[in-house]
Amino acid sequence: MLVYAAGGGHVITYFQAVVIGLLQGVTELFPISSLGHAVILPKLLGWHLSQKQPYFLAFLVATHLATAIVLFLFFLPEWLRILRGLGRSLRDRQISPRDADARLAWLLVVGTIPAGLLGLLFEHPLRSLFANPKAAAAFLMLNGLLLFASELLRRRAPGAPERARALEQPGETPTSPEAEKRLATLGFREAVGVGTAQAAALFPGISRAGVTMGGGLFVGLTHEDAARYAFLLATPIIGAAALLKLPDLFGSNGNGVRGPALAGAVCAGVAAWASVKFLMRYFETNRLTPFAAYCLLAGTAALLVFVF
Amino acid sequence: MRSDRLLAALAALTGLALVAVGVIYIALNEHDLPSFFPGHVSHPASHHHVKHGIAAILLGLACLAFAWFRTGPRERGAASTP
Repeated sequence: MLVYAAGGGHVITYFQAVVIGLLQGVTELFPISSLGHAVILPKLLGWHLSQKQPYFLAFLVATHLATAIVLFLFFLPEWLRILRGLGRSLRDRQISPRDADARLAWLLVVGTIPAGLLGLLFEHPLRSLFANPKAAAAFLMLNGLLLFASELLRRRAPGAPERARALEQPGETPTSPEAEKRLATLGFREAVGVGTAQAAALFPGISRAGVTMGGGLFVGLTHEDAARYAFLLATPIIGAAALLKLPDLFGSNGNGVRGPALAGAVCAGVAAWASVKFLMRYFETNRLTPFAAYCLLAGTAALLVFVF
Repeated sequence: MRSDRLLAALAALTGLALVAVGVIYIALNEHDLPSFFPGHVSHPASHHHVKHGIAAILLGLACLAFAWFRTGPRERGAASTP
């Protein structure tokens, strides 16, 4: 079924909406760049969808919002503890190193602010400059190299579990799950660094999840903890970016795409839930290397197709 | 100790100023902005610099949070300020 804009022009089909929704849900959380795939795949399939068109941006708002909601719900117990920790720290006017929830809450805050500011300032100009298939393919290759580099540069000592044990007090009853305690051992400078790295995802082809996980590995987190931290860090920024642009979807830019956007959002939500569930298990024992290889190969292949 | 309080006071003042600037950016269109604000235009316009406003408010809140923790009680040996 085709959907037409108010002016009668072809906008987006329900089939395209479902495909892009599924693609968004998977690629936003896998470290392989959702924006890059959203630029490259339509071109490879011969679809006339442009990342720069207001109707397509309005459509993407819905899929991003769905992804953020799913991420928030998946980690709901963690978010409730983090929010309670945030409240405790504001009440006590201090961030106790023994309060892992409060510390993790402020690590996420200081990690989100620089990426949020950079996104607010540079999202539009960077999208205008680089949201084309050739650039996205080149950045996808670069993303693969960054993931390889993250694995190579991974700091093994001092390991995150050792740092968590060092935090424990004799006779203390742990109030937070071990994973949060391990994440809370990050320093604030490290959190700012990892958070700022998210801004690299403003370039289509560079993965937010990838650079955040890579940053987490670089500062000594395990793969599982780095993935958990990347997903926690991504939730407010994806949600806020989508909420900020929600008026586009309900304004004139959204005319003709609201139905497909709803279909795309449902598909993105389902795909995101399956992806985060899979990835949290995957990173218990596995590495970023397969995703690095995929990005390098897919980016190279796409670039060759677009150039020749 | 005195420099700590001075730093906190400066952060609080900066935070309040940034929040005020953010509200002005969101409330006024680019023509009605004070002429020294980045983004001001002299011709009539209806566009609001919402992103500038959000960025200023975020920075302001960060400064206020810094001042809040800086003036709070400290645990011995604890790095309690983000």
